[in-house]
Amino acid sequence: MQFVHRISKGSRFNQIYVPASMNEVFEVGDLVEVRLIEKKTKIYTSCNIQLSAFKKKLINQILSILQRITGIEQSFIVGSFLTSKTDYNDIDILLISNKDCEKEVYSRLMTKFDLKFHVLVIPEERFQRLIKICPLTRSMLYYFVSHKHFSLPATTEIDKQHLEFLLMMPEDLLEIKANSRAYYDSWRRLLAIERFLKGEAIDNIAIIKDIERSLGKLLHTYMRSNEPLEEIHLKKIRTHMDQKIHFIRKLLRAS
Amino acid sequence: MSKKDTLRELVNILVKSLRHKIGSIVNEDALYAAKYAKDAEILLKEAQKVHLREHWNRDDKIEIKERLANELRIELTSKEFIADQKFDYIEKEIKEALRILDLE
Repeated sequence: MQFVHRISKGSRFNQIYVPASMNEVFEVGDLVEVRLIEKKTKIYTSCNIQLSAFKKKLINQILSILQRITGIEQSFIVGSFLTSKTDYNDIDILLISNKDCEKEVYSRLMTKFDLKFHVLVIPEERFQRLIKICPLTRSMLYYFVSHKHFSLPATTEIDKQHLEFLLMMPEDLLEIKANSRAYYDSWRRLLAIERFLKGEAIDNIAIIKDIERSLGKLLHTYMRSNEPLEEIHLKKIRTHMDQKIHFIRKLLRAS
Repeated sequence: MSKKDTLRELVNILVKSLRHKIGSIVNEDALYAAKYAKDAEILLKEAQKVHLREHWNRDDKIEIKERLANELRIELTSKEFIADQKFDYIEKEIKEALRILDLE
């Protein structure tokens, strides 16, 4: 016989009550075993993200599993799963750990949920640097849910080499034709870099609105869903990107 | 577009794709290694489309390989922000890309 109950707070000791209906089964003096089924998870969110009950429950379960894996300092749920109602492909998870735990995490999550996950593991020291120097990391962590408190450092550092790396693809796409999603991702990257250099918050929702304003909703949707682009649209996108790259280079020179 | 132009375009895209690929290998930043590798893949796919426009004979293949090696070295030299180990990967990555494109 068994029952499932939550541990409650007692004045001297925390306790588990035997349900009245089971008084005759579990009697005083019987020997029982207590086993942890689900770790209570406290959730911290950034920017007052509004989540449905379904998402909250799922996130709780995911964080609870991650908390039980040794070596993980902090777990974050990030990405479009948090910011889009239904328009997400997978659940992005960012883990701070000095242990190479990616495979273990995938395997545990897949076994339990049968959902598509994208897991990134960053060592603690590297993470502390990236949140200061990297626009993409800062944009990723603008919206997050975690089991621990976290806030992005207010001060940033300009690492020109890192930014040059990030600018490579957008610059290549001015010259080489690629699928429309590549342009979309590169444009988002440029807007994130621009906001970073201007010391602004790198809010992905605001970035998407920026793109919609520049191109119109329809073209934005086309690019986002990787639909083929007409030559005239490609030209328009490249012109915008070129101007943005010039502006970013100017900001970089001034920094 | 002449075959010569197509060859030039193919080499140009391959140079950029391999620059991303090599950057993803030598960049210490593991978080973005996957992202840069993805950028390389996107460009390699474009190179595949250009490759299919022509039938490449043995001489073309030799020319592609030689130009690619030269231009990739120049390109990597100009990108000072990619660590110096980049030059160690030129031969291996060219071989791999040409194998994928069936241009060995």
